[in-house]
Amino acid sequence: MLVFTRRRNEAIIVADGIEIRVLRVSKDAVRLGVTAPADVPVHRQEVYDQIREENRRAAAPTGLPSALAHLPKASGGAS
Amino acid sequence: MTAPEQPPSGAIRVDTAFGTFDVAPSDVVSFPAGLPGFEECRQFVVLSSRELEPFKCLQSVEGPSASFLAVDPRRAFPDYRSGLSDVDRARLGDPDEDALVWLAVVTVQAEQTVVNLRAPIVINPARMLGYQLMPSNSLYPLRYELTQLS
Repeated sequence: MLVFTRRRNEAIIVADGIEIRVLRVSKDAVRLGVTAPADVPVHRQEVYDQIREENRRAAAPTGLPSALAHLPKASGGAS
Repeated sequence: MTAPEQPPSGAIRVDTAFGTFDVAPSDVVSFPAGLPGFEECRQFVVLSSRELEPFKCLQSVEGPSASFLAVDPRRAFPDYRSGLSDVDRARLGDPDEDALVWLAVVTVQAEQTVVNLRAPIVINPARMLGYQLMPSNSLYPLRYELTQLS
C-alpha cells in the first residue's frame, strides 16, 4: 500500500485525472473530495461491500423460489 | 428447453441449473467491470424459458462460472423507479433509457426469497453493455422480500 501524508487542501492524483483532495480534518474523520472522469464510479466502500455480499449470497441458485410457485405466470414467450 | 446433442454451429452452449441453452454470440452482454464479488466475470447471457418465467437466469460465459436469478424490478415492486446517474449513463454507453433492460438480482433462501432493488443490473441492448448500479442514496432496500409478482 502506498502511504502519503497530506495536509488540508492537498491532494493525490490516481491514474488519469482522478483527484482525491483532503477538504477537512477533524478528530476522527477526514472529509475528502474526489474528482474523477465521467465514467469512473466512486463509492463508499461499505456500499460496494454490501452489494458484493448480496451478489455472493444470490449466486449459483439451485432452484426457483418455491414459495412463489403458485404465482400467476405471465403469458407470452421468452424474450 | 431441450437442447440437441450438439449446439448449432456458431452457438455457445450454456449449462445452468435451469437447463441447457444454446445462445448466439450476439446475445452476449459485456460487463466491463464485472459484478461486485464477481469482478472477473465480464461476459454474461440473459436466459429466459417458460419454466423460468418471469425470472431470468444471468449466466457468465467467460471466466469463472457465475449464475444468478433475476427479475425485472417493476414486477417485484410495481411503482419501482430508479434513475441513472451521469456515471451510469457513461458506463452504459449513453443509452436510450426507454430501451434499457432492468434486472434485480434474486436471492433464494430456504425461508424467504429476497430481491435486490437497491443495486439493479441494467443492460443497454443497443450496445450489449451491462452494469450493476450502486446508488449511494437509494430509497430501495438491498433485501426486499419477494412475496408477489405483478
